[in-house]
Amino acid sequence: MTSPQTSRPTSRQGSPTDSQNPPQPTSIPVLRRILVYGGWLAIGIAVIGAALGGIFVGGIGVVSALIGTAMAVVFMGITAGSILLANHFAGRESAIGAFFGIVMGGWLLKFVVFLVLMFLLRDQPWISPIVLFLSIVAGVIGSLVVDAVVVMKSRMSYVSDVTLPSAPTDA
Amino acid sequence: MDSTTVLAELTGNIATVGYGLAAIGPAIGVGIVVGKTIEGVARQPELAGRLQVLMYIGIAFTEALAFIGIATYFIFTN
Repeated sequence: MTSPQTSRPTSRQGSPTDSQNPPQPTSIPVLRRILVYGGWLAIGIAVIGAALGGIFVGGIGVVSALIGTAMAVVFMGITAGSILLANHFAGRESAIGAFFGIVMGGWLLKFVVFLVLMFLLRDQPWISPIVLFLSIVAGVIGSLVVDAVVVMKSRMSYVSDVTLPSAPTDA
Repeated sequence: MDSTTVLAELTGNIATVGYGLAAIGPAIGVGIVVGKTIEGVARQPELAGRLQVLMYIGIAFTEALAFIGIATYFIFTN
């Protein structure tokens, strides 16, 4: 049986440097993986969407598919990015306030930018609204699938962020 | 013009209501998800990593509704 000490990274055990460098939450690798796989998915959806848009609508279909996919994946990825950014404040006095402010503030800002972009793009002559809409829906659903698969495949211990005391030493 | 028409007259695009409906539900949902995560981390800081990942999945599924709803409103208003 593996003891708790050996299953934890040594840097997470109590040490004099912990006060200067508080341990980061163990969700960081999972969120990074979500961003990386989301990027690969975006490339795939953009290629397929651009091909279909080009076949059915023409040049504006290609542009609309690329913009729609980019919007969906970037705006969905901002959530993971904001959590990663907020984790820089882990262990500090302002950790919870900063976490709430960055994640929720990022969410609000993201939707304002999304609204403005949709408002500006809707009436452009070089945009096909249907292709743009379908690309956004494909990007959003694909991003959800990636999120779900990555989280289901991630392995985290039950108390993933526990900090163990350092071993006693002979004085 | 009968009185019902005068009293209940509305101008503008009814699709605007769609934006409101698309925004209010996910906003409440994300607020609950993040609030509960903070509550959980405050009680058990050693679970922060696990709770953040679960929170992220909750936010992602909730905000997907908002994105699709808002896009629907803008694309199909004309």
